[in-house]
Amino acid sequence: MDLDYTHAELDFREEVRTWLAANTPRDTRPPGGQELRAWECAWQRRQFDAGWAGVSWPREYGGRGLSLIELMIWYEEYARAGAPPATMMFVGLNHGGPTLIARADEQQKAYHLPRILRGDVVWCQGFSEPGAGSDLASLRTRAVIDGDELVVTGQKIWTSNADVAEWQELLVRTDPDAPRHKGITWVICDMRAPGIEVRPIETLSGGAHFCEVFYDEVRIPLPNVVGRINDGWSVAMSTLSFERGTAFLASQVELARTVEDLIDVARERTGPDGRRPAIADDEIAHRLATARAEVAALRAMTYAAVSRAARADQPGPEASLLRVFYSELYQRVAALALDVVGAEILDASNTWVSGYLGSFQATIAAGTKDIQRNIIGERVLGLPR
Amino acid sequence: MDLLPNADQAEITSSVDAFLTAEFPRATVRELIASTDPVDRERWKRCAGLGWFGLGLPEEDGGVGYGVTEEALLFREIGRHLTPGPLLATVLGARVAAAAGATRAAAEILDGHSVVGLAEPAGTDGSARVLDGVSADLVLLLGPDGATLTERAGWATLTPVGCVDPASRLAHGRPGAAAVVARVETEKAAAIRERGVVLTAAMLVGLIEATRDMSTRYACQREQFGRPIGTFQAVKHRCADMAVRAEAAYSLTVLAALLVDRGHPDAALHVAAAKALTGVHAVANAADNIQNHGGIGVTAEHDAHLYLKRAHVLATLFGSRPEHLRAVLAAPGAEQVRDS
Repeated sequence: MDLDYTHAELDFREEVRTWLAANTPRDTRPPGGQELRAWECAWQRRQFDAGWAGVSWPREYGGRGLSLIELMIWYEEYARAGAPPATMMFVGLNHGGPTLIARADEQQKAYHLPRILRGDVVWCQGFSEPGAGSDLASLRTRAVIDGDELVVTGQKIWTSNADVAEWQELLVRTDPDAPRHKGITWVICDMRAPGIEVRPIETLSGGAHFCEVFYDEVRIPLPNVVGRINDGWSVAMSTLSFERGTAFLASQVELARTVEDLIDVARERTGPDGRRPAIADDEIAHRLATARAEVAALRAMTYAAVSRAARADQPGPEASLLRVFYSELYQRVAALALDVVGAEILDASNTWVSGYLGSFQATIAAGTKDIQRNIIGERVLGLPR
Repeated sequence: MDLLPNADQAEITSSVDAFLTAEFPRATVRELIASTDPVDRERWKRCAGLGWFGLGLPEEDGGVGYGVTEEALLFREIGRHLTPGPLLATVLGARVAAAAGATRAAAEILDGHSVVGLAEPAGTDGSARVLDGVSADLVLLLGPDGATLTERAGWATLTPVGCVDPASRLAHGRPGAAAVVARVETEKAAAIRERGVVLTAAMLVGLIEATRDMSTRYACQREQFGRPIGTFQAVKHRCADMAVRAEAAYSLTVLAALLVDRGHPDAALHVAAAKALTGVHAVANAADNIQNHGGIGVTAEHDAHLYLKRAHVLATLFGSRPEHLRAVLAAPGAEQVRDS
């Protein structure tokens, strides 16, 4: 156990900090749509030009090839600098790209990886279906081989940014008679192909980055299949374990910043008694202190997870411990903010209100808190299924 | 940066665990709890012989020379095994004696000759709450103005009171004219207390992990409706919550210990956070463990209640949750999020 960084790691932190201080975008981030797309692509391009695109990707594929510790430093500094979280770039950089690196052929890699890194394209994820959420392996979107093409018919849902994406990592059922996990194929889908219809879904927080995607005999060339036909489940699993690991590092620091911001707000705003600052209220002070203590625990759990991953090479089921603690803490902090700002919550444009409304998806996305608890029970503790 | 134990640290954990399993099996712990004196002097000397009481003391003071991080690993095992006796007060007492230059007293503590009880002020009238001090040789009084090691025999009034935890011996009294063996003040005393806070959190971590493991074992074995109760999501998810609490408590306590060892400016925040959080998590895990065991969990015969009661004692000692939460809020934010 130690908290020491090597000289090289300390120099690296300084390099990251200096670059981010000079290059983090300071103009207002557009709320969504094509404007946000252009803005995010430009920020990605700026990172690419300076050699900061694909920080976790191997160097041979144009990435930065950072070690896990360096990656942690990058994300710590990234969040600390207030750099924008990757939203439209997220799937390409953290799901699609890494899956291609792990399982795609050379031609697929040569075409797609540089475009993702440069910020030329947006990727989306076509995994969930109306009947296949937590139970992903029950997916039914059908694909039939016809000549040298797959013909896809069906529906996907909760596809973030499908309305602006060029490419999709798509899971389809190619053998309906095989056991559930054996008849699935992972394929790269061109979102501009005929037969695709995208309908945005408005969420309870008012945003509309979620979409439904309908496929009506969409023709996808067979060379777009990654891995083998019917081997898509194992291809998809390399993506999911990636998501539960390193891609999460920045969120911890962002939440820590949110709690510090909220403490500042509570010092400045008038509290529930109408006279003293909110932080003078015993209940608010107690909850702010608890949130700060729990954020300290989250930081420690993140370090423990990184230490474990550094030894084990890829994240194990213990990542779910961190995921449960983080997502529920995130929601507690979001709810606490409402009590700190008081009657301002009646104003829908208040950022603490949109944060609160947005927090409900924290325990649903990337595996619900119930599924995470099953993983902890069965795979960490060894309880029977 | 590595939060996992290195080879030395893993060896401390496994050797302490092996020793406590052999020397303090649950039947022995039960016997010590039932006896008038929970300290068995022969076993106590064997603990001393392993260097436990000076694990974190520099070698020139007769210690082993490790940090508070390694001491935390020792006390985590002590918590896990429900080992009775004032082990923490004795470790801190040796530190006070060494810091004050009372070399003979320090040597007698380190070799297991002197057992040190713990006293904390009870109110502002000079009276104190004394834990495991009735049969001790010395009593360490941790007051707001200093840490004082006193002769127990000089404590004129030590009135035993039944303790909520049957493994702890509680008494009320006043140091009165008790002879002072050693005393440290200001920063040195604050450092002793901070160490006590970290090591109490470490014992709580041991309780949190032990109850998680006890519930997991039971959920695998106990069958109802023809299958292990661990297959039911209500039980499985409760066990999962216990594992989340254990991960948070362990990671935070290790981080706090490492920050103390480095003298890092973030130490105060993390130490207070660790004590506040481990206290809550230990009580929550102990309560869930009783629930998971059903009827047998509320019997005196079963061990589940021992974890609950020890958790309440340790959550109260070295500052209760409200005190530490106030410190958490008063501290500057962690370095990670401070503006550079």
